Amino acid sequence: MTILSILVVDDDPALLRLLQKQLTKAEYRVEIAEDGYVAKTLLEKHRYDVVLTDLIMPGEIGGIEILDIAKKKDRSIEVVLITGHSSLDTAVEAMKKGANDYLEKPINFDELFLRLDKIAHAKTMRKSATDLSLALNRTEDEATQTIQMLEILSNTLQQSMQEIENALRAENHSPESNIAHALSIISQHAGRSTTQ
Amino acid sequence: MIKITPSELRLVAQYIQSISGIYLDQSKTYLFETRLSSLVEAHGCSSYQELYNKAKNEPAKTIEKEIVNAITTNETLFFRDKGPFELLQHKILPEILDARTNLSTIKPRIKIWSAASSTGQELYSIAIIIKELLKNSQDYTFDLLGTDISDAAIAQASYGKYNRFEIERGLDKRNLQKYFTLFGDSWKIKDEIRAMVNFKKVNLMQPFSNLGKFDIIFCRNVAIYFTLADRKKLFTKLSASLADDGYLIIGSTESLTGVCPLFVPKRHLRSIFYQKK
Repeated sequence: MTILSILVVDDDPALLRLLQKQLTKAEYRVEIAEDGYVAKTLLEKHRYDVVLTDLIMPGEIGGIEILDIAKKKDRSIEVVLITGHSSLDTAVEAMKKGANDYLEKPINFDELFLRLDKIAHAKTMRKSATDLSLALNRTEDEATQTIQMLEILSNTLQQSMQEIENALRAENHSPESNIAHALSIISQHAGRSTTQ
Repeated sequence: MIKITPSELRLVAQYIQSISGIYLDQSKTYLFETRLSSLVEAHGCSSYQELYNKAKNEPAKTIEKEIVNAITTNETLFFRDKGPFELLQHKILPEILDARTNLSTIKPRIKIWSAASSTGQELYSIAIIIKELLKNSQDYTFDLLGTDISDAAIAQASYGKYNRFEIERGLDKRNLQKYFTLFGDSWKIKDEIRAMVNFKKVNLMQPFSNLGKFDIIFCRNVAIYFTLADRKKLFTKLSASLADDGYLIIGSTESLTGVCPLFVPKRHLRSIFYQKK
């Protein structure tokens, strides 16, 4: 499964360190930001699979603003919000704006890992689907070219057959002249086929 | 998952073909089970036979619709295969506009039909091309019609809302920003494009001459689910619904050889279109 890279944003230094320690121990690639401003700079420079951010932080860049910045940069970045019970309504609003999920404080790490597993699983599935679709497109392109060539060739042959039939059935010429005409159509067609 | 018996398989396969034209390979038991077993349970039935009986005897045809929704494949994306859309933009539209403009002084009306429009991506892609090509030209009237057998697909197409996965497939950033509005975690087609198109439910197995004649018909990747006999019937009917100088576009891996002698294939760059003989 995909190893997720996670940006953790929280203004509580103790919680930030705890999250960093637990997530690193669980073998995620982790970077941390102690406020929204640092997170903004990091998001502009690097690519993350998941942003795990506190909803309410001091300053003008809180969880909702981080959600906007992340989604503007790349809609495939998943944002999980950490929220206190009092800001649940805001968290639900954030979900409507594209947040993947929210976790209530105090953080239950089993729950957090479960959410991250789901995100990793969804990413793996999406990648498989994209790979499959690329492979299908490639096959479809190849098949298309072959089918188109056969479709045009078959139509040309049908037309030639019709011309030959008409030449052979022509009533105002001798049979010999009809056959000669038919043979000239065949040789013309043979010429066309070899040059195709 | 409820297992389907061989006799139920035959019965259900025939029923599905009769209501939708879709021919399902009876060796693919799993296909029937994965797509229909939840319907069997949802309607309180204990077998596929019971679901079939219920569907047959129900005047409102709700179960029949649900079966069609479950069995149809809504695999589509914006600008699926670049070829047909480049063809439309660079060859077909200029030619048809030219032909119709010379005909009369009345404002020409161009009718385009996406015959198996699924969730609408194909028809919206066509509308975007027209918008891009003609800007806000008032010189032509366009009738863009999308039809599909599935009510669920028609409902989504009419609503014009797509999730991230659907949007990411085929649509470039420029067209996304220009013609869609962010709607929660989904995207909704803007009114200027939505207003150009209409969607309605049509079963291609039934007569459809009441829709009138079209200048351009897209009928891609739907006949592949039909038997050869039903394909022949479909393309013969499509020929009658196409203007004499109209254009038919089928799926890129489909062929009309041995299916319908009324059309002649023509190649333009890397794509093929069909016109009446």
